Amino acid sequence: MTEYFGVKVTDIFDSMAERFRSEGARGVSRSFGYEIKDHGKWKLTIADGKMQLAQVDQLTGCDVTVSMDGKTFVGLNVGKVDGMEAFTSRKLTVKGDFALFGQTSRFFTKFILPGEKITQEQELLVLKRTISVNQRFATGPVMGKFLKALKEKQILAIKCPVCGRLQSPPREVCAICRVKNTEWVPIGPKGEMRMLEYCYYASPAPLTGETRETPYGAIGVLLDGCKDEEVFWHLLRPDQLNKVKMGIVLGDKVVHGTRLRPVWAEERTGSIDDIKYFEIDE
Amino acid sequence: MKPGFDTTDCYTIEGKLALPYTYFAGRVGSTFITTLRDKQKIMGVKCKRCNKVFVPPRQTCERCMEDIRNNWVDLKSGGEVVNFTVVRYDDRHLPRKAPFVLGMIRLEGADSPMVHILEGVDPDQVKIGMKVKAVFSPKTTNTILDIDHFEPNV
Repeated sequence: MTEYFGVKVTDIFDSMAERFRSEGARGVSRSFGYEIKDHGKWKLTIADGKMQLAQVDQLTGCDVTVSMDGKTFVGLNVGKVDGMEAFTSRKLTVKGDFALFGQTSRFFTKFILPGEKITQEQELLVLKRTISVNQRFATGPVMGKFLKALKEKQILAIKCPVCGRLQSPPREVCAICRVKNTEWVPIGPKGEMRMLEYCYYASPAPLTGETRETPYGAIGVLLDGCKDEEVFWHLLRPDQLNKVKMGIVLGDKVVHGTRLRPVWAEERTGSIDDIKYFEIDE
Repeated sequence: MKPGFDTTDCYTIEGKLALPYTYFAGRVGSTFITTLRDKQKIMGVKCKRCNKVFVPPRQTCERCMEDIRNNWVDLKSGGEVVNFTVVRYDDRHLPRKAPFVLGMIRLEGADSPMVHILEGVDPDQVKIGMKVKAVFSPKTTNTILDIDHFEPNV
Protein backbone atom coordinates (compact mmCIF):
# COMPACT_ATOMS: atom_id res chain seq x y z
CA MET A 1 0.00 0.00 0.00
CA THR A 2 1.23 3.45 -0.87
CA GLU A 3 2.32 5.68 1.94
CA TYR A 4 1.92 9.43 1.99
CA PHE A 5 3.87 11.46 4.57
CA GLY A 6 4.75 8.03 6.03
CA VAL A 7 1.12 7.09 6.58
CA LYS A 8 -1.23 4.77 4.71
CA VAL A 9 -4.82 5.70 3.89
CA THR A 10 -5.96 2.67 5.87
CA ASP A 11 -4.00 3.86 8.94
CA ILE A 12 -6.30 6.86 9.12
CA PHE A 13 -9.50 4.84 8.73
CA ASP A 14 -8.34 2.03 11.05
CA SER A 15 -7.60 4.49 13.85
CA MET A 16 -10.95 6.30 13.59
CA ALA A 17 -12.70 4.13 16.18
CA GLU A 18 -9.87 4.82 18.64
CA ARG A 19 -9.88 8.53 17.94
CA PHE A 20 -13.66 8.89 18.11
CA ARG A 21 -14.93 11.53 20.56
CA SER A 22 -18.52 10.74 21.51
CA GLU A 23 -18.87 14.14 23.20
CA GLY A 24 -18.04 15.82 19.89
CA ALA A 25 -20.68 13.79 18.07
CA ARG A 26 -23.46 14.33 20.59
CA GLY A 27 -26.82 14.89 18.94
CA VAL A 28 -25.51 14.07 15.46
CA SER A 29 -27.23 11.39 13.46
CA ARG A 30 -25.76 11.42 9.96
CA SER A 31 -23.74 9.40 7.50
CA PHE A 32 -20.61 10.43 5.64
CA GLY A 33 -19.08 8.95 2.52
CA TYR A 34 -15.37 8.95 1.71
CA GLU A 35 -14.29 8.17 -1.81
CA ILE A 36 -10.50 7.90 -1.95
CA LYS A 37 -9.23 7.55 -5.51
CA ASP A 38 -7.42 4.23 -6.14
CA HIS A 39 -7.97 3.20 -2.49
CA GLY A 40 -11.67 2.59 -2.04
CA LYS A 41 -14.85 3.86 -0.47
CA TRP A 42 -15.73 4.11 3.20
CA LYS A 43 -19.01 4.93 4.85
CA LEU A 44 -19.04 6.48 8.29
CA THR A 45 -22.29 6.46 10.22
CA ILE A 46 -22.75 8.49 13.37
CA ALA A 47 -25.76 8.06 15.64
CA ASP A 48 -26.47 8.08 19.40
CA GLY A 49 -22.91 9.17 20.17
CA LYS A 50 -21.51 6.07 18.45
CA MET A 51 -19.73 5.54 15.16
CA GLN A 52 -19.64 2.81 12.60
CA LEU A 53 -17.18 2.61 9.76
CA ALA A 54 -17.30 0.20 6.85
CA GLN A 55 -15.44 -0.15 3.60
CA VAL A 56 -18.10 -0.46 0.92
CA ASP A 57 -18.37 -1.08 -2.78
CA GLN A 58 -21.02 1.54 -3.36
CA LEU A 59 -21.72 4.70 -1.38
CA THR A 60 -25.44 5.09 -0.97
CA GLY A 61 -27.61 7.08 1.40
CA CYS A 62 -24.85 9.40 2.62
CA ASP A 63 -25.74 12.92 3.75
CA VAL A 64 -22.45 14.13 2.36
CA THR A 65 -19.76 12.49 0.25
CA VAL A 66 -16.22 13.75 -0.20
CA SER A 67 -13.90 12.64 -2.97
CA MET A 68 -10.14 13.10 -3.13
CA ASP A 69 -6.92 11.25 -3.79
CA GLY A 70 -4.93 9.38 -1.15
CA LYS A 71 -2.28 12.06 -0.77
CA THR A 72 -4.85 14.78 -0.10
CA PHE A 73 -6.74 12.60 2.37
CA VAL A 74 -3.67 11.67 4.40
CA GLY A 75 -2.28 15.20 4.11
CA LEU A 76 -5.45 16.68 5.55
CA ASN A 77 -5.38 14.28 8.47
CA VAL A 78 -1.74 14.82 9.37
CA GLY A 79 -1.88 18.57 8.86
CA LYS A 80 0.26 18.69 5.70
CA VAL A 81 -2.50 19.82 3.34
CA ASP A 82 -4.69 22.87 3.84
CA GLY A 83 -8.38 21.97 3.59
CA MET A 84 -9.54 25.20 2.01
CA GLU A 85 -6.74 25.11 -0.54
CA ALA A 86 -7.56 21.50 -1.44
CA PHE A 87 -11.19 22.48 -1.90
CA THR A 88 -10.59 25.58 -4.03
CA SER A 89 -8.11 23.73 -6.24
CA ARG A 90 -10.72 20.97 -6.60
CA LYS A 91 -8.43 18.29 -5.21
CA LEU A 92 -11.25 17.70 -2.81
CA THR A 93 -14.87 17.71 -3.91
CA VAL A 94 -17.95 17.61 -1.74
CA LYS A 95 -21.35 16.30 -2.74
CA GLY A 96 -24.25 17.04 -0.38
CA ASP A 97 -24.31 19.02 2.82
CA PHE A 98 -21.05 20.98 2.81
CA ALA A 99 -21.53 22.46 6.30
CA LEU A 100 -22.02 18.96 7.66
CA PHE A 101 -18.70 17.87 6.23
CA GLY A 102 -17.06 20.74 8.12
CA GLN A 103 -18.30 19.22 11.38
CA THR A 104 -16.42 15.95 11.00
CA SER A 105 -13.25 17.30 12.63
CA ARG A 106 -15.22 17.59 15.89
CA PHE A 107 -15.84 13.84 15.98
CA PHE A 108 -12.22 12.71 16.18
CA THR A 109 -9.04 13.55 17.99
CA LYS A 110 -6.01 14.38 15.89
CA PHE A 111 -4.22 11.59 14.07
CA ILE A 112 -0.80 11.16 15.64
CA LEU A 113 2.06 10.40 13.24
CA PRO A 114 4.06 7.28 14.08
CA GLY A 115 6.97 8.26 16.31
CA GLU A 116 5.45 11.69 16.99
CA LYS A 117 5.89 12.66 20.62
CA ILE A 118 2.82 13.64 22.57
CA THR A 119 3.84 16.36 24.96
CA GLN A 120 1.84 17.53 27.91
CA GLU A 121 0.50 20.98 27.07
CA GLN A 122 1.04 23.62 29.73
CA GLU A 123 -2.00 25.00 31.51
CA LEU A 124 -3.13 28.16 29.77
CA LEU A 125 -5.27 30.66 31.61
CA VAL A 126 -8.27 32.43 30.20
CA LEU A 127 -10.25 34.92 32.20
CA LYS A 128 -13.87 35.71 31.37
CA ARG A 129 -15.29 38.71 33.16
CA THR A 130 -17.80 41.46 32.83
CA ILE A 131 -16.58 44.68 34.31
CA SER A 132 -18.97 47.44 35.16
CA VAL A 133 -17.96 51.05 34.73
CA ASN A 134 -20.03 53.82 36.25
CA GLN A 135 -20.47 56.85 34.10
CA ARG A 136 -22.38 60.10 33.95
CA PHE A 137 -23.79 61.79 30.89
CA ALA A 138 -24.24 65.56 30.94
CA THR A 139 -27.34 66.49 28.99
CA GLY A 140 -26.52 70.10 28.18
CA PRO A 141 -29.40 72.54 27.71
CA VAL A 142 -30.83 71.11 24.47
CA MET A 143 -30.82 67.35 25.15
CA GLY A 144 -31.90 68.21 28.70
CA LYS A 145 -35.04 69.96 27.53
CA PHE A 146 -35.90 67.03 25.28
CA LEU A 147 -35.39 64.43 28.03
CA LYS A 148 -37.31 66.47 30.61
CA ALA A 149 -40.27 66.54 28.21
CA LEU A 150 -40.24 62.73 28.01
CA LYS A 151 -40.94 62.75 31.73
CA GLU A 152 -44.22 64.55 30.87
CA LYS A 153 -44.94 62.02 28.07
CA GLN A 154 -44.13 64.54 25.39
CA ILE A 155 -41.72 64.10 22.48
CA LEU A 156 -40.05 67.32 21.33
CA ALA A 157 -38.14 68.09 18.17
CA ILE A 158 -35.97 71.09 17.44
CA LYS A 159 -36.46 73.02 14.20
CA CYS A 160 -33.86 74.56 11.93
CA PRO A 161 -34.73 78.26 11.30
CA VAL A 162 -33.29 78.04 7.75
CA CYS A 163 -34.31 74.70 6.20
CA GLY A 164 -37.10 73.94 8.63
CA ARG A 165 -36.11 70.33 9.24
CA LEU A 166 -36.92 68.72 12.56
CA GLN A 167 -34.39 66.82 14.66
CA SER A 168 -35.33 64.51 17.47
CA PRO A 169 -33.36 63.75 19.58
CA PRO A 170 -32.40 67.38 19.14
CA ARG A 171 -29.04 68.84 18.22
CA GLU A 172 -27.94 72.35 19.12
CA VAL A 173 -27.21 73.17 15.50
CA CYS A 174 -28.47 72.16 12.09
CA ALA A 175 -25.36 70.58 10.65
CA ILE A 176 -26.57 71.10 7.07
CA CYS A 177 -27.28 74.85 7.35
CA ARG A 178 -24.70 75.46 10.11
CA VAL A 179 -27.03 77.60 12.17
CA LYS A 180 -28.21 77.36 15.74
CA ASN A 181 -31.58 75.65 16.16
CA THR A 182 -34.04 77.74 18.11
CA GLU A 183 -37.68 76.67 17.83
CA TRP A 184 -39.13 73.66 19.69
CA VAL A 185 -42.02 71.66 18.23
CA PRO A 186 -43.98 68.83 19.87
CA ILE A 187 -44.16 65.76 17.59
CA GLY A 188 -46.01 62.42 17.70
CA PRO A 189 -46.24 60.74 20.07
CA LYS A 190 -47.75 58.26 17.59
CA GLY A 191 -46.31 57.57 14.20
CA GLU A 192 -45.66 55.00 11.53
CA MET A 193 -42.99 52.41 11.07
CA ARG A 194 -40.31 53.41 8.59
CA MET A 195 -37.25 51.32 9.27
CA LEU A 196 -36.61 48.09 11.12
CA GLU A 197 -33.26 46.64 11.98
CA TYR A 198 -33.12 43.10 13.28
CA CYS A 199 -30.36 43.08 15.87
CA TYR A 200 -28.84 39.67 16.48
CA TYR A 201 -25.88 40.91 18.47
CA ALA A 202 -26.66 43.12 21.43
CA SER A 203 -23.97 45.26 22.93
CA PRO A 204 -24.64 46.28 26.53
CA ALA A 205 -27.01 49.23 26.96
CA PRO A 206 -24.94 52.17 28.25
CA LEU A 207 -27.48 53.26 30.86
CA THR A 208 -28.22 49.94 32.54
CA GLY A 209 -25.25 47.79 31.59
CA GLU A 210 -27.66 45.04 30.69
CA THR A 211 -27.46 43.12 27.47
CA ARG A 212 -30.78 42.94 25.65
CA GLU A 213 -32.42 39.73 24.58
CA THR A 214 -31.82 39.05 20.89
CA PRO A 215 -33.12 39.38 18.32
CA TYR A 216 -34.58 42.76 19.03
CA GLY A 217 -35.84 45.44 16.69
CA ALA A 218 -34.29 48.87 16.46
CA ILE A 219 -36.82 50.97 14.62
CA GLY A 220 -37.12 54.31 12.89
CA VAL A 221 -40.57 55.76 13.53
CA LEU A 222 -41.87 58.64 11.46
CA LEU A 223 -43.73 60.47 14.19
CA ASP A 224 -46.80 62.53 13.30
CA GLY A 225 -45.73 66.01 12.25
CA CYS A 226 -42.47 64.77 10.73
CA LYS A 227 -41.59 64.09 7.11
CA ASP A 228 -38.98 62.40 4.91
CA GLU A 229 -35.92 61.41 6.90
CA GLU A 230 -37.09 62.86 10.21
CA VAL A 231 -37.42 59.46 11.86
CA PHE A 232 -37.14 58.83 15.57
CA TRP A 233 -35.06 55.85 16.61
CA HIS A 234 -36.15 53.60 19.44
CA LEU A 235 -37.02 49.98 20.19
CA LEU A 236 -39.91 47.81 19.11
CA ARG A 237 -41.93 45.69 21.55
CA PRO A 238 -39.96 42.43 21.37
CA ASP A 239 -42.92 40.11 20.67
CA GLN A 240 -44.10 42.28 17.77
CA LEU A 241 -40.91 41.91 15.77
CA ASN A 242 -42.57 39.89 13.05
CA LYS A 243 -45.89 41.71 13.07
CA VAL A 244 -44.90 45.09 11.71
CA LYS A 245 -44.53 46.40 8.17
CA MET A 246 -42.18 49.10 7.03
CA GLY A 247 -43.47 52.12 5.16
CA ILE A 248 -41.67 53.49 2.14
CA VAL A 249 -41.83 56.44 -0.23
CA LEU A 250 -40.80 55.81 -3.86
CA GLY A 251 -41.38 58.90 -5.97
CA ASP A 252 -45.12 59.60 -5.80
CA LYS A 253 -45.90 56.18 -4.40
CA VAL A 254 -46.38 56.08 -0.64
CA VAL A 255 -46.74 52.82 1.24
CA HIS A 256 -47.72 53.43 4.82
CA GLY A 257 -46.05 51.42 7.56
CA THR A 258 -47.67 49.97 10.66
CA ARG A 259 -49.03 52.62 13.06
CA LEU A 260 -47.09 52.64 16.34
CA ARG A 261 -47.45 54.30 19.72
CA PRO A 262 -44.95 54.74 22.53
CA VAL A 263 -45.26 52.73 25.73
CA TRP A 264 -44.21 54.95 28.60
CA ALA A 265 -42.35 53.73 31.65
CA GLU A 266 -44.27 53.92 34.94
CA GLU A 267 -41.50 55.80 36.64
CA ARG A 268 -39.98 58.39 34.38
CA THR A 269 -36.69 60.02 35.25
CA GLY A 270 -35.95 62.17 32.23
CA SER A 271 -34.00 59.61 30.25
CA ILE A 272 -34.46 57.96 26.85
CA ASP A 273 -35.65 54.86 28.74
CA ASP A 274 -38.77 56.82 29.76
CA ILE A 275 -40.14 55.32 26.55
CA LYS A 276 -39.91 51.57 27.06
CA TYR A 277 -40.51 50.83 23.40
CA PHE A 278 -43.02 51.39 20.62
CA GLU A 279 -45.90 48.98 20.04
CA ILE A 280 -48.57 48.50 17.39
CA ASP A 281 -51.33 51.12 17.77
CA GLU A 282 -54.51 49.09 17.51
CA MET B 1 -17.86 80.71 36.63
CA LYS B 2 -21.31 81.06 35.13
CA PRO B 3 -21.84 79.56 31.67
CA GLY B 4 -23.14 81.92 29.02
CA PHE B 5 -26.41 80.01 28.50
CA ASP B 6 -29.53 79.00 30.36
CA THR B 7 -28.77 75.95 32.50
CA THR B 8 -32.36 75.28 33.65
CA ASP B 9 -32.55 72.09 31.59
CA CYS B 10 -29.01 70.85 32.24
CA TYR B 11 -28.56 67.78 34.39
CA THR B 12 -26.64 64.52 34.44
CA ILE B 13 -27.83 60.98 33.87
CA GLU B 14 -26.17 58.10 35.66
CA GLY B 15 -25.08 55.29 33.40
CA LYS B 16 -23.43 51.96 33.86
CA LEU B 17 -21.38 50.35 31.16
CA ALA B 18 -20.87 46.61 31.27
CA LEU B 19 -17.95 45.28 29.31
CA PRO B 20 -17.87 41.55 28.80
CA TYR B 21 -14.38 40.46 27.84
CA THR B 22 -12.14 37.45 27.54
CA TYR B 23 -8.54 37.83 28.57
CA PHE B 24 -6.02 35.24 27.48
CA ALA B 25 -2.91 35.26 29.66
CA GLY B 26 -0.71 33.64 27.03
CA ARG B 27 2.06 31.13 27.71
CA VAL B 28 4.31 33.49 29.65
CA GLY B 29 1.49 35.01 31.69
CA SER B 30 -0.01 31.57 32.43
CA THR B 31 3.31 30.20 33.70
CA PHE B 32 3.68 33.25 35.94
CA ILE B 33 0.22 32.84 37.49
CA THR B 34 0.24 29.04 37.83
CA THR B 35 3.62 29.26 39.62
CA LEU B 36 2.21 31.89 41.97
CA ARG B 37 -0.74 29.65 42.63
CA ASP B 38 0.95 26.24 42.96
CA LYS B 39 4.34 27.14 44.46
CA GLN B 40 3.65 30.53 46.01
CA LYS B 41 6.67 31.75 44.15
CA ILE B 42 7.15 34.90 42.09
CA MET B 43 9.11 34.46 38.89
CA GLY B 44 10.49 36.98 36.43
CA VAL B 45 12.22 36.71 33.09
CA LYS B 46 15.78 37.87 32.51
CA CYS B 47 17.19 39.30 29.32
CA LYS B 48 20.45 37.57 28.48
CA ARG B 49 21.78 40.59 26.66
CA CYS B 50 21.10 43.46 29.09
CA ASN B 51 20.59 41.37 32.24
CA LYS B 52 17.39 43.21 33.17
CA VAL B 53 14.80 41.16 35.04
CA PHE B 54 11.16 41.81 34.24
CA VAL B 55 8.22 41.10 36.49
CA PRO B 56 5.40 40.73 35.56
CA PRO B 57 7.17 38.65 32.93
CA ARG B 58 7.12 39.43 29.24
CA GLN B 59 7.97 37.64 26.05
CA THR B 60 10.39 40.19 24.60
CA CYS B 61 12.92 42.50 26.20
CA GLU B 62 11.67 46.03 25.63
CA ARG B 63 15.22 47.36 25.18
CA CYS B 64 17.03 44.64 23.23
CA MET B 65 14.06 43.00 21.48
CA GLU B 66 15.49 39.68 22.64
CA ASP B 67 13.16 36.73 23.00
CA ILE B 68 13.28 36.15 26.76
CA ARG B 69 10.19 34.00 27.27
CA ASN B 70 12.00 30.90 28.51
CA ASN B 71 14.66 32.52 30.65
CA TRP B 72 12.88 32.34 34.00
CA VAL B 73 14.47 33.45 37.28
CA ASP B 74 13.11 33.02 40.80
CA LEU B 75 12.52 36.16 42.81
CA LYS B 76 12.09 36.80 46.51
CA SER B 77 8.71 37.95 47.72
CA GLY B 78 10.19 41.08 49.28
CA GLY B 79 10.85 44.41 47.60
CA GLU B 80 10.47 48.13 47.92
CA VAL B 81 7.88 50.76 47.07
CA VAL B 82 9.12 52.89 44.18
CA ASN B 83 5.90 54.83 43.78
CA PHE B 84 2.29 54.70 44.94
CA THR B 85 -1.14 56.26 44.69
CA VAL B 86 -4.05 56.42 47.12
CA VAL B 87 -7.43 55.44 45.67
CA ARG B 88 -10.00 57.61 47.39
CA TYR B 89 -13.23 56.60 45.64
CA ASP B 90 -15.31 53.45 45.54
CA ASP B 91 -16.25 51.61 42.40
CA ARG B 92 -17.32 48.10 41.63
CA HIS B 93 -14.28 47.23 39.59
CA LEU B 94 -11.85 48.24 42.35
CA PRO B 95 -10.39 45.47 44.51
CA ARG B 96 -10.75 47.23 47.90
CA LYS B 97 -12.92 49.78 49.68
CA ALA B 98 -11.53 53.30 49.53
CA PRO B 99 -9.20 54.60 50.76
CA PHE B 100 -6.57 52.04 49.79
CA VAL B 101 -3.08 52.15 48.37
CA LEU B 102 -1.86 50.89 45.01
CA GLY B 103 1.90 50.62 45.07
CA MET B 104 4.53 50.19 42.39
CA ILE B 105 6.70 47.54 43.98
CA ARG B 106 10.14 46.54 42.74
CA LEU B 107 10.98 43.09 43.99
CA GLU B 108 14.47 42.22 45.14
CA GLY B 109 16.36 41.04 42.08
CA ALA B 110 13.93 42.63 39.61
CA ASP B 111 14.41 45.71 37.48
CA SER B 112 10.81 46.56 36.65
CA PRO B 113 8.15 47.42 39.22
CA MET B 114 4.78 45.68 39.45
CA VAL B 115 1.53 47.25 40.63
CA HIS B 116 -0.26 45.73 43.59
CA ILE B 117 -2.35 46.51 46.64
CA LEU B 118 -0.51 47.72 49.70
CA GLU B 119 -2.06 46.95 53.07
CA GLY B 120 -1.15 47.14 56.75
CA VAL B 121 -0.07 50.75 56.52
CA ASP B 122 -2.05 53.97 56.81
CA PRO B 123 -2.37 55.58 53.34
CA ASP B 124 -0.83 58.77 54.73
CA GLN B 125 2.17 56.88 56.12
CA VAL B 126 3.29 55.21 52.88
CA LYS B 127 6.77 56.28 51.86
CA ILE B 128 8.77 55.71 48.68
CA GLY B 129 11.58 53.32 49.55
CA MET B 130 9.49 51.39 52.09
CA LYS B 131 10.36 47.68 52.37
CA VAL B 132 7.38 45.44 51.66
CA LYS B 133 6.66 41.76 51.11
CA ALA B 134 4.03 39.73 49.29
CA VAL B 135 1.22 37.97 51.15
CA PHE B 136 -0.20 35.08 49.17
CA SER B 137 -3.92 34.48 49.00
CA PRO B 138 -5.24 31.28 50.59
CA LYS B 139 -7.80 31.01 47.79
CA THR B 140 -6.88 31.00 44.13
CA THR B 141 -8.60 33.06 41.48
CA ASN B 142 -6.07 32.23 38.74
CA THR B 143 -5.19 35.91 38.56
CA ILE B 144 -2.51 38.24 39.90
CA LEU B 145 -4.68 38.37 43.03
CA ASP B 146 -3.20 35.00 44.00
CA ILE B 147 -0.85 37.44 45.66
CA ASP B 148 -3.47 38.89 47.99
CA HIS B 149 -1.55 42.07 48.78
CA PHE B 150 1.82 43.46 49.89
CA GLU B 151 2.49 44.60 53.44
CA PRO B 152 5.36 46.33 55.27
CA ASN B 153 8.30 44.01 55.83
CA VAL B 154 9.41 44.61 59.42
